Amino acid sequence: MAHGLDPVDFGGEVASASDAPADRVLAAINRIIVILSSIALLLAGFVLTYSVVVRYFLKYSTDWQDEMSVFLIVGAVFMSAAAIQAQRGHIGIEAIVGLLPKRVNRVRVFLVDLASLAFCAYFAWKSVTLLHEAIVDDYHSTSTWAPPLWIPYSLMTAGMILLSVQLLLQVIAGLRHDNAGDEGAGA
Amino acid sequence: MSTLSIGLLYGGATLLAMFAGMPIAFALGAIATVFMIAFMPHGSVDTITQNVYEEMASITLLSIPLFILKGSAIGRSRAGQDLYGALHAWMHRIPGGLGIANVFACALFAAMAGSSPATCSAIGSAGIPEMRKRGYSGGFAAGIIASGGTLGILLPPSITMILYAVAAEQSLGRLFLAAIGPALLLVVLFAGYAMWRFRHEYNAARLQYEAGGANS
Repeated sequence: MAHGLDPVDFGGEVASASDAPADRVLAAINRIIVILSSIALLLAGFVLTYSVVVRYFLKYSTDWQDEMSVFLIVGAVFMSAAAIQAQRGHIGIEAIVGLLPKRVNRVRVFLVDLASLAFCAYFAWKSVTLLHEAIVDDYHSTSTWAPPLWIPYSLMTAGMILLSVQLLLQVIAGLRHDNAGDEGAGA
Repeated sequence: MSTLSIGLLYGGATLLAMFAGMPIAFALGAIATVFMIAFMPHGSVDTITQNVYEEMASITLLSIPLFILKGSAIGRSRAGQDLYGALHAWMHRIPGGLGIANVFACALFAAMAGSSPATCSAIGSAGIPEMRKRGYSGGFAAGIIASGGTLGILLPPSITMILYAVAAEQSLGRLFLAAIGPALLLVVLFAGYAMWRFRHEYNAARLQYEAGGANS
């Protein structure tokens, strides 16, 4: 089972992203997002450290720190999901992957990508409707700071849309790989 | 369909999706959504995104990405090898001291990183070759690191305990406090066993040497 700390090796059996323009654009977006997400995680760490120092040592009350770090981390998690999927780094059980023949494994990866795409696209659509509601009805958080909720919802929506696009590209790459394999076998 | 059969179907479908290699997050989400659409009132799926956000926006749960970040940073640094080197220098005179040093290094690293796999890879990469070089059997050397790695989920701060605290709605601080005693007891037991096993292997090797010489 992968634990997210080491690069995952799939032995080149999985269809990799091709050099199509859409793949290159998404890869460039992902690179920028990964840098921004890393900065957001570090910022969250600084905000929480500041919050602890101010609250426990200087005895001031804090209001925005917890929620600010929640927004930063939730944003980093959702926005970087597509970049992680591009490397197939989302944690899954790979116990049976090594036992399957190459061809069956390719079909398995395709079906798994398709099911993941269906779920992520549905979730992205539901996130869009939630974001729309939050903007129209002006949702705010219930804390004393009361920031508008469209901020985290928009990060969640953008992240899920990017993830769905990434999965769609991987499904298309899987289809192309299968066709190329069939033509190669037929020739 | 009865509640029991829906539950069984749900459990079976979740296991099937996860063992098919679907990323765990998508597998849990997809199966839950499908079952909500099939067996729950129509409006229930309208709030799934809101529910996910509200569950995620808990400050306790969000400590996990930061712990993983910390564990990953420590794992990439030389902290594991340095820690192991220091403990080895202190304990190499004790019989079985190398094994004990590995157990202690695992415990200290686990307390810093909070993750069992990170502990095993950081201490094992330096510890196993060293133990093999000093004649420890492969099973014994790997066993010390594997059992030492399990301290990662017990010694605070442990990622597993954070998840348990959120799922079971228990106090995380009290859980961490409760784990210190058992974790220290395990460290002492692992170290004691490492010492006993070292003597056992040492005596067996010595008897073999006395019976047939160095080349037997």
